[in-house]
This record gives sequence, structure tokens and C-alpha cells, in this order.
Amino acid sequence: MPKSLIIDPVEARQASVIRAPEIPINAYTPDPAAEAERYSRAGLVNVYRDMLLIREFETALDNFKKQGAYRGVEYNHAGPAHLSIGQEASAVGQCLALEPRDFILGSHRSHGEILAKGLAAIRQLDEDELLQIMQRYHDGAALRVVEALGDFADARALAQAWLVYGAYAEIFARDTGFNKGMGGSMHTFFPPFGIMPNNAIVGGSADIALGMALFKRINRRPGIVIANIGDSSVASGPVWEALNFAAMDQYHTLWDAELGGAPPILFNFMNNFYGMGGQPQGETLGFGMLARVGLAVNAAAMHSERVDGYNPLAVAEATRRKKALLLAGKGPALLDVITYRYSGHSPSDASSYRGRDEIDLWREHDAICGFGDYLCANGHADSAALEGMQECAVTLIEGVVRAAVDLDVSPRLPLDAGGDAIGAMMFSNQRADALDERQPEVLQALEDSRLQVTSGKHRFGLDARGEPLPKLRTLTYAEAIFEAMIHRFYEDPTMIAFGEENRDWGGAFGAYRGLTEALPYHRLFNTPISEAAIVGAAVGYALAGGRAVPELMYCDFMGRAGDEIFNQMAKWQAMSANVLRMPLVLRVSVGMKYGAQHSQDWSSIVAHIPGLKVYFPATPYDAKGMLNRALRGTDPVVFFESQRLYSQPETLFAGGVPTGYYEVEEGEPKVHRQGDDITIITIGATLYRALEAAERLRAQHGLSAEVIDARFLNPLNYTPLVASVKKTGKLLLVSDATERGSFLHTMASNISQLAFDYLDGPVAVLGARNWITPPAELDESFFPSADWIIDTIHQRMLPLAGYQPRTEQGARSISQRARAGV
Amino acid sequence: MAEAVVMPKLGNTVESAIILSWHVAVGDTVRPGDLLCEIETDKATLEIESSAGGILLAQLCAAGDEAPVLSNIAVVGSAGESIAEFEPRSYSASGEPPDLPKSPVGDRRGAGLAAPIKISPRARKLAQRHGVDYQNIAGSGPGGRVIERDIERALPDAPAKFTPVAQAMLDSGDYKVAEGHPAGRRVSKADLERVESERFARAIPLTGVRKTIAGRMRESLQSTAQLTLNASADARALQAYRRRLKASDEGLGLAAVNINDLLLFAVSRTLPAFPALNALFENDVIYAQKAVHLGQAVDTDRGLLVPVIRSAESLTLKQLSEAARRLAEACRAGNIQPDELSGGSFTVSNLGALGIESFTPILNPPQVGILGVGSINLKPVEQEAEVAFVPHIGLSLTINHQVVDGAPAARFLQTLSANLAQIDLLLAT
Repeated sequence: MPKSLIIDPVEARQASVIRAPEIPINAYTPDPAAEAERYSRAGLVNVYRDMLLIREFETALDNFKKQGAYRGVEYNHAGPAHLSIGQEASAVGQCLALEPRDFILGSHRSHGEILAKGLAAIRQLDEDELLQIMQRYHDGAALRVVEALGDFADARALAQAWLVYGAYAEIFARDTGFNKGMGGSMHTFFPPFGIMPNNAIVGGSADIALGMALFKRINRRPGIVIANIGDSSVASGPVWEALNFAAMDQYHTLWDAELGGAPPILFNFMNNFYGMGGQPQGETLGFGMLARVGLAVNAAAMHSERVDGYNPLAVAEATRRKKALLLAGKGPALLDVITYRYSGHSPSDASSYRGRDEIDLWREHDAICGFGDYLCANGHADSAALEGMQECAVTLIEGVVRAAVDLDVSPRLPLDAGGDAIGAMMFSNQRADALDERQPEVLQALEDSRLQVTSGKHRFGLDARGEPLPKLRTLTYAEAIFEAMIHRFYEDPTMIAFGEENRDWGGAFGAYRGLTEALPYHRLFNTPISEAAIVGAAVGYALAGGRAVPELMYCDFMGRAGDEIFNQMAKWQAMSANVLRMPLVLRVSVGMKYGAQHSQDWSSIVAHIPGLKVYFPATPYDAKGMLNRALRGTDPVVFFESQRLYSQPETLFAGGVPTGYYEVEEGEPKVHRQGDDITIITIGATLYRALEAAERLRAQHGLSAEVIDARFLNPLNYTPLVASVKKTGKLLLVSDATERGSFLHTMASNISQLAFDYLDGPVAVLGARNWITPPAELDESFFPSADWIIDTIHQRMLPLAGYQPRTEQGARSISQRARAGV
Repeated sequence: MAEAVVMPKLGNTVESAIILSWHVAVGDTVRPGDLLCEIETDKATLEIESSAGGILLAQLCAAGDEAPVLSNIAVVGSAGESIAEFEPRSYSASGEPPDLPKSPVGDRRGAGLAAPIKISPRARKLAQRHGVDYQNIAGSGPGGRVIERDIERALPDAPAKFTPVAQAMLDSGDYKVAEGHPAGRRVSKADLERVESERFARAIPLTGVRKTIAGRMRESLQSTAQLTLNASADARALQAYRRRLKASDEGLGLAAVNINDLLLFAVSRTLPAFPALNALFENDVIYAQKAVHLGQAVDTDRGLLVPVIRSAESLTLKQLSEAARRLAEACRAGNIQPDELSGGSFTVSNLGALGIESFTPILNPPQVGILGVGSINLKPVEQEAEVAFVPHIGLSLTINHQVVDGAPAARFLQTLSANLAQIDLLLAT
């Protein structure tokens, strides 16, 4: 896309072969003397101790699930437990190479990784820092419980118990857990130690980790980011998208060299040879060895290699080498860390897919036993010391578990009192002009930008006589979006925007015209056609603390980013118990005239998912004011735009679109036309058809219709809507979304309940037909029109004298169409 | 196994019928073929026989209810059987579902509970606030729902606010606010009525035959170009022949043949020579008819009916007379068969007995001609330099000018007049 990159046909057509780097397999050579020097005797013993603690942690959970008790402590754990018994060396080895500022993100099987990273961080942070973290985190709730457990030798010993307690309390859904129990076993995390969200969706951490790595690179933050994901996840689309997104050439060819290169991300596959019960190697995939996948992604083969995950020091050494590459901007990197879980996928796993003998073979290679032997053989410990460490681990786990299962000591989130504690965590509802204090990086002064052009245009589309002004000289809806975007870009240095065709082209519909000239590459860039990774990377960027504005070119492509929108973007604020924020505005363009796969309004689907704010402006004033509002918030917003409207000038807000900054109040519908006889509520571009219908109702039937643009689907203030219906007694709702399951039905149901005694007829919902979107030539048969609106009023609530409806909209059509399924 | 009795389909154009009365009570025994109930279509009153035998378990419609053809109207079976599955099973082909039977629930439970009145919450609230009895207000909402405007019209107070159009109409002095408009409610054009408009003794909703006639008449005038030609024919031969028939031997069975029969006869014999008039016009196609299916307008208590005499041109005068009398009596008695009320190709309407000299009959589409017959009056006729008063019978022919030109219509009247003037000779042909 950039003109600076010439595609040379001579080069493109030249015969040659691809030469690829060799992929090292288990290349680590143990060297006890060097290892003793590097890690020190105490360091090596700590490796053993950490592995023991992890195994005991998981063993306790296994006992609770299978026997209802651990060492006499009875507890019925209702939630999941995907245990990593057998995988301890891979986790502990990795964290030997990491610092607290390095992030790890995990999977559903990441208890071991959390503990390893936490234990490493506790040794690295100074004691004052540790105490402050524990005192501040959720106002010291967990600290108070742990301090009561007994005397601890020092702050680090206290912190170790605190770490184990925070994890158990989280797994047991307690208010004192890391995330107040809202994350649970599969999503336990603790940002101050660099433990970022684990993800219950297979591979879900890949693109989120990429977003965090982008945040580090773009905002010049130290450290690397590791996605600890399973071997089977390499075949999932979002992981593949993340690998490619992480390896884009532009980090080296187009981005400022001074920034330091590619985002520092390590895709660390915890390869335990099973994807639940399927075997990627030999059964469900064809890579032979997972490390081979790096060859497909870039010329460096992602520096891919296989590492023996049963030797913690091999994992540490490989991770350290990858970290150096990543910090030098040469990422991404890929590690295929072989390991093995003795425990089942989950407690319900009968291990029908593998034999006892296979498990026994791996037990013979058990990493903890092996590393114990190594310590003894090299004089770092003796068997009595090892046994003592085992006893210590058991004592710690037992004491902590006793506190974690006790409902008096570790209560659940107080849901009875007030009842809405979870509701209060769904959104952060904050305002932030900038998420960092530094000067935003820009290429031109704001007054030299395209803002100069747009601010000189007519701000209202009609002249004094009500005639339209020339469109090219009038500010459009697309330009209103540009004005909101450039404002926040110049306020918030962390804000970035990306998607398909965002740079140079200026967005497929031109909303970003002028931004290419104003912003450096790393603040506005094109991505591969990878909708999942576009949204997923934005999620990671926002969770890491930056403001992200990803774009989906067509609403219909949301399906490609379904998990990222529905499970990631929507959920992390509440799953973190508001520890993390999600300042993410996903711009989504609703298409038109492009048939069945490019013309759908899916705002209803998004509004159905808890945790998302949903905006849909219909005029330039609202486009700018609502986007301004979204870009200053800290919550995930799906911002719908309509291709019917990009060239629309402002014709409804009498003052036109202000040149300065302003916000539309969130959740407030807008009354565009006052009336007494019927209320018409619209979402999106149907506003203009409703206004046309209202004018015809006035001129031809002497009726005055009140027309209200909802503007917001969530949150939404029903008060003005109900007030209007109380006045008129009649309500019709209309949008371009297909009728079945439309969000309009939610509104209709709510308003029916809130204004029941005032209704003079059933509330009517008018959407597009429950068909595919037909070719543009057949639009009239599919999308609601002014005719449909009047026909529906006539046939369902208020027969109009002498009126001949053009279409069938009677109540009977509802049941007929439902019966036919269309 | 309980069985439903359905409203039979009573002719091709019948969509629904009204239950006039039930002859079998719920709980009584009924045999197949027993008279179950009496119904009225837009054209006739008929008796419905039970198609099943057993105990009458339910009447799904009350007397006075309109039921679509082929919908369930009754359930017959063994005592105690469930009738839950026998909801009225189909609706009319257009528009809203018809009103449900007034008291189906009550009938099924035998408790006599009334079905709820269809009224919006807002209208009910308004009615209750003003103490308006909404039980007998005709609803103007979809499906007859009583809505706010219906209650507003029933309120006693005078209004205060006017739309500009309504204000201008009031200022003209020709209009006043309709009675019952609520205080404080905006008055629009629709809320005004003409000052001179009379208050009616009672409002009679159109149903059955009257509703059909109203629709057909309007449709006739809206969809065709009607032109009426007036003429009169020398009636001396008619009157002379009528006198002879009346005086004829009772054994001949001709005494009842009247002037109207002679007219029908003349029309049946004249029309074949004028195919343009004995035709149907539908969807831009003219269907010229071979036979003369002669419609004859009959006045009944329920309104105008037009039974059809099939192939009138092939009947003798006596046969024609008998057919006409039989059909007219069946119409008056209300037991005419639906199929005898359709399929005409030309119609004769006679108002002569009521002293009407001439009138403009309205076409019965798709027919393209209708002959109105007036009274016999003396007409001055110049005969051999003298003016004589000769009895003439009035003839008014309405044609659909879309497909029948004036001249052929005039020629038909001319020929018919000539044939009437020498009816005795025509009878000989």
C-alpha cells in the first residue's frame, strides 16, 4: 500500500528457492558448573522449591475435586480445575529468565505459570515494594487474611503465602481473591507481578499478548510479553493471525527505526502433546514438530526452536535468548516447549485417549525428581533437605487452603447486600483525556492538518431557506469522525488506530483522510486481513494501558472477530474485578448495496453481550460528539457507523457541527421531531425514513409524530422514551437490523412494561425482513421504508381514514412469518 | 373421537357466514344430517346439517357471530371429550383475523363467561377516569379494538384547542365540533362535522346482504363507465296479451304470467342478436355469452337480490314465468341457493309496479348491460294527423360504455321496443 514500497515485477518473477533457517531441537547442553555460577546454589534450590510448591498447589485442587478433601480440609470446589501436574519445570524455567515488568499471559491450564511468575517476582522486588503492593491491592483484603495465618520470617515469606492465598481464593470464587473471584481458575491473574490475564478460550492469549507487546513497543515500555498457549491452539485462526500480525514487515521497513523494531512477543507453546484428548502430533495436525510452524511466518522462522520443558534450566536458557532478540526488536519468537501433564484435561477426564503406561514413562522422567537428583549430584542439597522442602510446601499449602475454603475468613462477593456488585464492575465509567503524560507523537501541527479544511466547511447542511448546500463544501458524517479522531490523537499519546486500509487509503470510506499525514506509522497502521487479531490486539493494547481504536471495514466481518468481541473485549473489566480497564473503541461500518455478506446491521448481536457499550450515531453532530465521548472513556465501545451516512451533512441539529470539542451525553436518546399522536424510535440510518414518514403523516393524515433517535443501544436512558410514549400512547420502533431478535424487541418489551397503562395499541417493531440482504436493486423489498412505517401504523395501531397500505404489515404477518421461519 | 363441524363453503364467492340460530344445544344428541343451525351468507339464509353424530360438545360460535367458511363451528363427540384442539381453524383471506367468537371460553366451560372487550390500556384508563361505559363503544382500532380516540369521541366535554385547518373550517360556519370530543384534546379536521348534518335515530352497522350490496354498488360505479339510455315501447300488445293470459283456462297454467314475464321473454329473444350486450367484461377481456342467463332484481326484506334464470332464451314463456316466480319466492323466503345468485349475463330490474317511469339502473359487473323497466303511461302519439294517447312502457338501458358503444345499445332498445309492440308475433317465432 505505501507508495514507498515498489513491487518490482523483475524481482517478483525471478526464479529461485526459499532457503530457511534450521530449527534447533532440544539443543540445550547441561553444564552444572556454569549453571551453578549463573544461578547460584540458592537460585537452583529455589527452582526445586517452586516446582514442589506448584505441584502441591495442584495436588490439593485435585484432591478437592476428586475426594472433596485435602489433608483433612473438606471442601467441595464447584468450579473448573485444569491442572498442570507434570508441567512445573516449563513454568518455573521460563520465569528464571523474566523480570516483574515482563508479562506472561496464559491459558486455562496456567496455575503453575502464575505461581512461578509470582514467586520469581517476589524474589526480585524489594521488600518495601512488595508490602506496598499487598497493602494496596483491593485495600489489603487478602493481606489481612494471610497475616492472621501466623508469623512469617520476612516480607518475601509473607508474600509467598499471600500469592498462594490470592490464587486459591480466586479459584474458590472469594471476594479476597486476586480478581474477587470473577476470574476463577481459568482467568486468575495479578498484574503487579507481570501476570496478565489467562484465557479460557484456546489460543485466546495469542492476539491479546500481541496487543500488549505492541503497547510496550509503541509506548517505549521495557520488558517482553509471553503468550503461554497450548500446542493445539496453533491451528486456531486467531493464533495464526497473531503470528502473522506480530511478524509484519512494516515494523522494520516503515516504522521509525528509533522505536526499536517489532513488538517484543514470544509465542510460547506449552506443548503437552494433547489438545484436550486429541494429539496434534500424529493425529490432529501435520506439523510433526510444532517448532516447524515458525518457518511459515517469516524469513527468521520466528527464531523457532523446540526446548526440553522437563529441564527447567533448558527452558530458562532458551527464554533468555529469545528475550534478548525481542528486546532488540527482532521478534516475534516461537518456542515449542515440550512437557506433559499427568493429570487429566480436567477432573472429568477418564484418559480414554492414552494409556497408563504412557503416563508411567513420563513419570520416570519426572522433572521434579530429576532436578532433585541434579541438586544432590552437584552438591547443592541432600535428600534430607529435599524432604524438608517438601514438608514446607505441604505446610504452606495446607495452612493457606484452610483459610481459603473458610467462608468466614474468605467470604464471597457480597451479592445479597445491594445485589449489584457484579453489575458495578461491568464498566469502569471513567474519563481520561490522556492515558500517559508525555507529548503525543505527531508529524504536523494540528492547525496544519486536514482539520484546516474540514473546519472551514459549512457546519450545517441547509441554507436559510432550508435548501441543501453543496455537499463538497459541507462537513460530512465521515469528516465529523475524522475531527473526533484527530482531536484525541493530539490529546492522548497512547492512542493508536489500526485496521485494514487505515493508512494511506484513509479507511475504506475515507473517514481517516488526513490522518496519514498527521501521524507516524506506529500510531496509525494497516494490518493484515485478520479481524480476530485486529480486535484481539486492541484488547491487549487497552488492557496494557493504552487507548486503541481498531476498525472493522464491514459489520459483517464481526463474525471473524467473534471471540475477541464477545469473550475478550466485553469481559475483561469485570473478570479482573476492575483491576484492568478497556479503553477500546471498535469502529464498525454497516454496509449497504453490497448484498448478503456486506450489508448487515449486527448492532443487536453486540447489544446482547454484557460488558459492551454500543453507540450508533445517525448525524454528523452525533458522530463527532459520540465518538468524542467514546474516545475519552475507559470502556469498550462498539461504535457503529453506516455507509448510508458517510456523505450525510448535518441537517437536524440546528447549530450544525461545532468546530470545537464537545460530547454527547452517553445513553441519551435525541428527540428530533416533536409530536402528540405517535412515537417513532429509530436506530441508525432509519432516522431519515422515519422523519419522511412523520412528514407524510402530518401532511396527509393530520397526525403529529414524535421521532426519536435512540443513538445508544447500551447504556440507554429509557426515561425520555417512556415520557414520549406516555404522551402519544403509540410506539413504533424501526432499524435496518433484521427483525427477528432485533434489539428493538428489547426496547419494545421494556417500554411496554414501563408505559403499559398508557399504551393505546401494541408496540410495533419494524426491521429488515428475515432474509439475506438482497442485491441493492431490491432494497425496497428488504429494508424498512417510510411506506412500511405508515403501513404498520395503519394496520397495527391506528387505522388511517381512506389510506391504502402498500405492504402487508398486519399483526397476522408476524405469526405467519414466524411459522415459516422467515 | 370428537369431530368438528365446519362452516361449509356455500358457493365460490362466499367467504364467511353469520350464525343466525342454533337448533341443537350443547349436551344434546345429534345425528348426521340433523339440522344443526341456521346461517346467513351475504346472499341467502341456509340450514346447516350436522356432518357428525354424537353429543354436541361445543358451539364454537354464538348466534350473531360471523364465521369464515371451512372454520370449525361446532364439536360433536362423546361426553367428556376434550375440545381444546378445535379452535376455529382458518381466517378470512384478507386483512385482520376476524373477531373471535364472543364467548367461546364460556361455552366450553359451560360457565357463560364473556370474552374480554378489546380495548387498549390507555383507552380503558381514559374511560374509567371519565366514567365512560366502553362496553358498547364500537372500536376503530385494528380488529375493532377500542382505542383512545373512540373514548375521546364518547366524552361529554367541549374542546379548546384547534388545528389551523380545523379552526378555518369552524370559522366558515359550516362545521361544528363533533359531540363528545374531550376537553383539552386537540381538535383536528377529523373531529368536525357539518352543521346541517342530521343526528341519526340509530346507527346500523352493515352486515350480510346489505354489506355486500353496498360494496358491489360502489365497486360497480367505481370500476365501469355507466351510460343510461331511455326509451319507451308501445304497450298495447303487451296489455292485450296479458289480458288474454289472465282470462285463459286455468288448466293451461298461464293465468299467472304477467307483464314482467313477457318483458323477460322479449329480452331473452332479442339479446342473442346483440352479442355486445350479452357479455361479461373482466380484466380487459370481453367474454361474449352464448346463452342468455337472465338476472332478475328481486326486492326482499334483507335487501336487493338478483337470482339468475339459466338459458332463458331456450325457455318457453310459461317455463320462464315459472322460473322467475320460483326464484323470486326463494329469495323472499331466504332459502335461495348461493349458486342461483351468480352467473348472470344480463339483468332486468322492474320498478314499474311502483309507479317509476324511468330510472338509471346500476350495472351488475362483470355484466355490461342492465335493463330497467318502468311503469306503463299514456304517451301522446301522432297518428294520421291526430294525436292519440297510446300506453307506453318505460325502458332504461344502462351499458358499460367502456365496451358497449351508444349506437348498438340504442339499436338494441329499438329492436326490443319493436318486439314488445308486437309481442304476439314474437311469441310465434
